[in-house]
Amino acid sequence: MGNGYKMAVLIKQVPDTSSAAGVNPDGTVDRARAKRMINPFDKFALQKAIETRAAHGGEINVISMGPPPALEVLVEALEYGADYGYLLSDRRLAASDTLATAFALYKAITYLKDVDIVFTGLQTTDGDTAQTGPQIAERLDVAQITYCETMEIVNGRIQASRIIDGGIQKLETAPPALITIANSASRLEHKKFANVHMVKKLSRDKAEMERRIKTITLDDIGAEPERVGLLGSPTVVGKTWKLGEKGGSCQLFKGDKPSHEVELLVGAIKSDGKGVEEFVA
Amino acid sequence: MSDRIEYDVTLVGAGPANMALAYRLVQLTDRPIRIAVLEKAKEIGGHLLSGAVSNPRVIEKLFPMWKSDGFPHKGICSESYVSILGPRRWENVPSLLTPPYFKKEGYAILNISDMCAYIAAKITAEAAQKDGVVVDFYPGFPAQRIVFDGDRVAGVKVDDTGDENADTLYSKVTVFGDKGFVSRDLIAKYNLRKNPQVWSVGVKEVWETPQSHEGKVWHTMGYPMAPGHLGGGFVYGQTNNQLVIGMVMGLDFVNPNLRPPQILQDLKKHPFIQEMLRGAKLVKYGASVLPEGGFYSLPEKFAVDGAMLVGDALGTLDVKRFSGVDKAMESGYQAAETIWEAHKKEDFSASGLASYQARIMNGWVGKELSDSRYFRKAFNDHPKLLDIFIPRLAAAVDSGKSVVYAGIQAGMADPFGSLGLLSARKKIENPSDIGPAVYKEDRTHIGKDYADNRKISEGYAENTIYTTADVVFYAHTHYGEENRHIEEFDAAVCKECIATFDASKKDTPCVGDCTAEVHQTLEKDGTRIHAMALENCVQCTTCEIVCPRTNIRVRAALRGYGPDFSGM
Repeated sequence: MGNGYKMAVLIKQVPDTSSAAGVNPDGTVDRARAKRMINPFDKFALQKAIETRAAHGGEINVISMGPPPALEVLVEALEYGADYGYLLSDRRLAASDTLATAFALYKAITYLKDVDIVFTGLQTTDGDTAQTGPQIAERLDVAQITYCETMEIVNGRIQASRIIDGGIQKLETAPPALITIANSASRLEHKKFANVHMVKKLSRDKAEMERRIKTITLDDIGAEPERVGLLGSPTVVGKTWKLGEKGGSCQLFKGDKPSHEVELLVGAIKSDGKGVEEFVA
Repeated sequence: MSDRIEYDVTLVGAGPANMALAYRLVQLTDRPIRIAVLEKAKEIGGHLLSGAVSNPRVIEKLFPMWKSDGFPHKGICSESYVSILGPRRWENVPSLLTPPYFKKEGYAILNISDMCAYIAAKITAEAAQKDGVVVDFYPGFPAQRIVFDGDRVAGVKVDDTGDENADTLYSKVTVFGDKGFVSRDLIAKYNLRKNPQVWSVGVKEVWETPQSHEGKVWHTMGYPMAPGHLGGGFVYGQTNNQLVIGMVMGLDFVNPNLRPPQILQDLKKHPFIQEMLRGAKLVKYGASVLPEGGFYSLPEKFAVDGAMLVGDALGTLDVKRFSGVDKAMESGYQAAETIWEAHKKEDFSASGLASYQARIMNGWVGKELSDSRYFRKAFNDHPKLLDIFIPRLAAAVDSGKSVVYAGIQAGMADPFGSLGLLSARKKIENPSDIGPAVYKEDRTHIGKDYADNRKISEGYAENTIYTTADVVFYAHTHYGEENRHIEEFDAAVCKECIATFDASKKDTPCVGDCTAEVHQTLEKDGTRIHAMALENCVQCTTCEIVCPRTNIRVRAALRGYGPDFSGM
């Protein structure tokens, strides 16, 4: 591998879970109003790609599927050090389930040509299925390593540790492969000043920006419209329930001294009728 | 190695001074100019905290329609009081007896965090209208240290990749508007500050109250400050039913254990504030230091080859007028005019930037600082003012006397002291030249034995008070585990220091004066050592200022870590 590995990292823009903005009264998310962020699970995938490039060279292509605002996460990925971004954006992709999404992303990866390693996060914070990564691997017909925590490439072979129930499983395979990275893997490094600076320059250089981040459609990747979007999604969402709200009943006990705060706390627990005597000496 | 990263102008810190600078410079320029703004907070405004009731004179220059066009002021002061407090009673000084510089009617009530975020957005919008004018904001990237090229400031270090070009931001001129995190190195290198800076620390809370107090402003003296300690409280009613409560206290005081957050709690225990806090909710807590030396702590030069000092780095705060934000902004405004001239002549040498100092000193900033030049000296020369007069005044008020009667009584109680008072008053109000004030570093004032005999208000509601342990919660601090932003140079020195203060049954000043319960002493292998809970830090730098052995250095935290002062 003289020129290192050609890598694809799949990232998704999700609603910012730390912000209450854009949450409808019924608990569903208004994506237009919600604050947005990179799916936190995907950051571990991006970090693995950055580590692999640092060790072996190569280029990092970040692919995201979503509406035009998802361009933001590609720009952010460049700030973190990715080389190129691809936004797969097409109205016909709306309402894709995991089957349809995996098909579209598989087509996008094929469009990039000769990808050695595909990195994905474990799951997203908005869908939570953890199905898309493995489905893409099946379509690509490449080896897949899921729940990968650590990996290195020795003599052209990927040696990976994946988390399994009660332990760690060691695997080895040759690229091409798709690897979903566990959220216990190494955390994404802070942005480098030089990268942030480079992206600021890009934002003023339209031609260079278009070379670094491309928006592609179903026609570009040759995906049949009937296999994506609502048409290509057999999943039927029967009904969604709001399972009540967590929190909201937090009570802070304030006072001059910690001992006083404890007294107040104990008093409150006692007056609730739930004795604490056995816990308090 | 990668390419050098170069701008025309780099601004260190996105505070009021540098935001005024950038906005004015973008207004002025008719040719390409590239400006970088470094800011340690995660977002612009995230680490900014001030009182603040401010004369809007610079805001008016920059944003003539500021009262109505969305400028985020928090109300206009409609009633302003100076109040004398005892633990039980609260008396406002009659308007006729209130010095004019204490009257704040018509002033803007600001939170500089929101204000600077707003100005940053305005700068970006304005720059987009002009060809070749670039203003790049880098939140989360503080200037770590100054990069010199011989005696010229060439730029600042901004990253740690090991590649010098990728880690350095080079500029024709670097403007320091920080609270000393890096600018102190510039001042030290050129030995610019012959008289040390005098610092005080401010602690502040924002509350949401059931009733609106919008436009009302109180500045307090007396309770809960200890006799002999210069300091006072502020209570501002803001828009949206917000109430700001704060204390500012000098760090040049004998007590090694000031416990600033506790003094703020004590102020809140006062019945007058308790009344306003009934049913109220605490939104945020924060702390910050204030450079109070003023005129005689100004550096000998305001600019050197390739660098300038503005705002708190320069030290334009005028403690007599409670005027910090406006003077900081004016320093930025005048720096912008200077940089614009220098940019046209392509001359950023010390002589190319020299007109900046004259612009400041010949303008209203210099005039007012000169008028206030003996304010601090008056208190130093006449300790009876703080030791006896103000405590007596407060005690007389507390026993039910009017301010006028209390004042006469306090003055008459010590006729010889009263002469000193008149002399002190002259130094404050109407100074004639008596030579420069000489300051000692704050840390040299700190003693080992001090009995805190303050009387505290009684009958307060528990739910308005919290312990120091909760400070971090209300300051919304966040740090990553790799954070190491406070340096302790020599652990043995700390051990000696701890032993010394232990002997007096006191905490060391770093522990006793900390605003966020960062510093602590722990028992380890039979001796007591200094330890830090860095994850609590609100980056106020008090510990460095008061460390008796100069054994601590606070650096700007990296990666946007620290408190979240948005809305403060």
